[in-house]
Amino acid sequence: MKFWAIRVGSILLAVLVSYGIGMVAQGSSGTVSRLIALAGLYVTLAVSLNLINGITGQFSIGHAAFYQVGSYTAAFLASQLLARGTINNLGTPIPWVLAAVGIAIVTSGIAGFLIGLPSLRLRGDYLAIVTLGFGEILRIIIQNTPQLGGSYGINSPKAFVVPYVWMLAFLCIGACRNLLQTAHGLSFLSVREDEVASGAMGVNVTRVKVAAFVLGSAFAGAAGALLTFNEGFINVNSFTMDVSFIILTMVVLGGTGSITGSIIAALALFTLPEFLRDAPPMPLNAVLGTLAGVALLVGTIRLALDQKKLGRDFLTPKTYMGFGIAAVGGVIVSILANFLPALANRTIPSAELRMVIFSAVLVIMMLLRPQGIFGHREFGLGSIFKRAQA
Amino acid sequence: MIDPLSLTAGLDATALPQQLLNGLMFGAIYALVALGYTMVYGVLKLINFAHGEVFMIGAYTALFVSWQMGYFQGASGLTRATNPGILILMLITAMVVCGFLGVLIERFAYRPMRKQPRIASLITAIGVSMLLQYGGALVLPVSPPRSILEQVNPYDGNLSIPLKPRDGELNAAFAKAKEAEAAAKATLEQRIKQEGVSSEFDLSDEGKQIRSASQSAAQATRDAENKYLASGMSLNIPYGQGIMFLATLALMGLLTYLVMFTKTGRQMRAVAHDFDSASLMGINVDKIVTITFIIGSSLAGAGAMMCATFLGTQLTSFVGVPWGVKAFVAAVLGGIGNIPGAVLGGLLIGVAETMVVWAGGSQYKDAIAFVILILVLLVKPGGLLGSAKVEKV
Repeated sequence: MKFWAIRVGSILLAVLVSYGIGMVAQGSSGTVSRLIALAGLYVTLAVSLNLINGITGQFSIGHAAFYQVGSYTAAFLASQLLARGTINNLGTPIPWVLAAVGIAIVTSGIAGFLIGLPSLRLRGDYLAIVTLGFGEILRIIIQNTPQLGGSYGINSPKAFVVPYVWMLAFLCIGACRNLLQTAHGLSFLSVREDEVASGAMGVNVTRVKVAAFVLGSAFAGAAGALLTFNEGFINVNSFTMDVSFIILTMVVLGGTGSITGSIIAALALFTLPEFLRDAPPMPLNAVLGTLAGVALLVGTIRLALDQKKLGRDFLTPKTYMGFGIAAVGGVIVSILANFLPALANRTIPSAELRMVIFSAVLVIMMLLRPQGIFGHREFGLGSIFKRAQA
Repeated sequence: MIDPLSLTAGLDATALPQQLLNGLMFGAIYALVALGYTMVYGVLKLINFAHGEVFMIGAYTALFVSWQMGYFQGASGLTRATNPGILILMLITAMVVCGFLGVLIERFAYRPMRKQPRIASLITAIGVSMLLQYGGALVLPVSPPRSILEQVNPYDGNLSIPLKPRDGELNAAFAKAKEAEAAAKATLEQRIKQEGVSSEFDLSDEGKQIRSASQSAAQATRDAENKYLASGMSLNIPYGQGIMFLATLALMGLLTYLVMFTKTGRQMRAVAHDFDSASLMGINVDKIVTITFIIGSSLAGAGAMMCATFLGTQLTSFVGVPWGVKAFVAAVLGGIGNIPGAVLGGLLIGVAETMVVWAGGSQYKDAIAFVILILVLLVKPGGLLGSAKVEKV
């Protein structure tokens, strides 16, 4: 009885929250509504990549490719089959949208299957390159296919999909969470920990890997289809390697294997560039100085962490000196940069810092805390209470 | 200088040798870059994603040196260099800067990750690569003339190697067609005078027939000329690219000597064979890794300098991505960790790309490397010259 109450209750709650978010989006301006939808899509993408990279321990860096398959499937169907009159207003019937999402799930699932198959034979780094290459091949093929809009892009009807975007996000989170509670989920985790040993324990490694790829890419494909209806226009530039790397950064930052970590990192990294968009242009020397200061700071913290591992204090006079050196070094670099004629007095739009920050986050995270902020742990109310008691 | 890849003319058998040659030129650069990937992979078992960005920095270093020596767009009195001094300076500077950058990346990004799982160092490598790309985009020059001026290269012109002389009979036919064209033109001009009109468009109907006869005679002459030109075959090698190819071979020879016949090379091979045992045998593993990064990165720098100078590649901070990825594919194709394999793979990738262009699929030029990669990994994951080992992550 309690089992069903929790199940039904949480499903109802998720649906209600999704509609709530949808109502908030409807009440706000078009830009904000679009951002709310994109945030939900990025949560789905990060959690679904976490299923492949974090939970199953594969290494895919081409998640945007599956996103793209789903998006183009929906756009192709919609632009071919729906009446032209509905294009660019929010009039697409919702059952139609859901049907397109369903077909997108199938096509991107097939794409995931095709990529999952070679993964049986490939080690981590090779697999990474294959997923990257798949994305590039797909981009080049679409660019040269006039039926898919070529490099110009493809128009599709729009629909108000914010509630469905968030329902998909909750569905993805729920699926991953519930998977980890079952014996199936344990086999995914065992493949991550040790492939050979889990094979010896009777886990069908092949099936687990392919299942992870198919599931992860199907969720990404559904997100892509919803993106199509949210934007009304897509082209290959929405699915470049950068998008894959952003999703990867979200997963790495949150902690590979931690679902809550992925969600929080996705939301944080998604909102950051939106703040940068409105920020005033930055002086270049200040940016360079900050980068140098952060590099020195990271070095100091790493040395202090090594000391801590040896049983000494983290905060010693030397550590404070390192912090000082980092601050002074940053200032010195920013002053010196103004003496170079090529760099002096240049400003750069803050929006261009987005990818620099992402890549810096990726490197810093790896150097200081390779397991991500949350590691393999989950973050929740329960764990906070446990900590408070202890 | 013309971009070699634009010289295609459909599935034209006479263009094939030239295209193969162009492929080898590109392939030589891929091979140089692939050597860096393969050496680092051999020693550390790490795909150095930032290698493409080392290439990019090398190309920019060469650009800056050429600017410093006065070869920038809009410089007054720009004449072709008379001696290769600047080229050599550019090459050496690019190699030194890249070698230094490679050491920096290894020391501060990869070495701290050595005890971590392989995926962690891979993510670090991706992060470093992106940081250099986007950080570079902030700092490096973005105004239009971004490639090295060809005046830096003192060797102008082509080396033309005739493969097959042109057909004499076709030449006679060409001369005949030329005569016929001249005759038809004379008739037309006479007619224009006869009718007393100002231009050939105002002619009477009969005169228009004469005009179209003259036009078809001109067309026949062009056809005959094309046939005549296509009957022979010759290879054109710009001197600069020839020098590039020779320099590439020389660098590869030097590398072979270093790896096979010196003490350091022996240590390097030992570390590649077994990292831990090598360190137990008293080899300073860190030193060998550093040397590997110096060699690999400076080869990428040399490749970048030659590519930017002799192939006229436009420079952006993202220029290293396609070169890096294709060179990586070359390394995998030859068998990663295997030095002759990287050279073979590089040349094959270069030839494969120009063959795709030759076959008329120039828009798929960038995809072929990935197709080859996926095929190799599916059919022969060890690569052409590598040994297929089942390794665990």
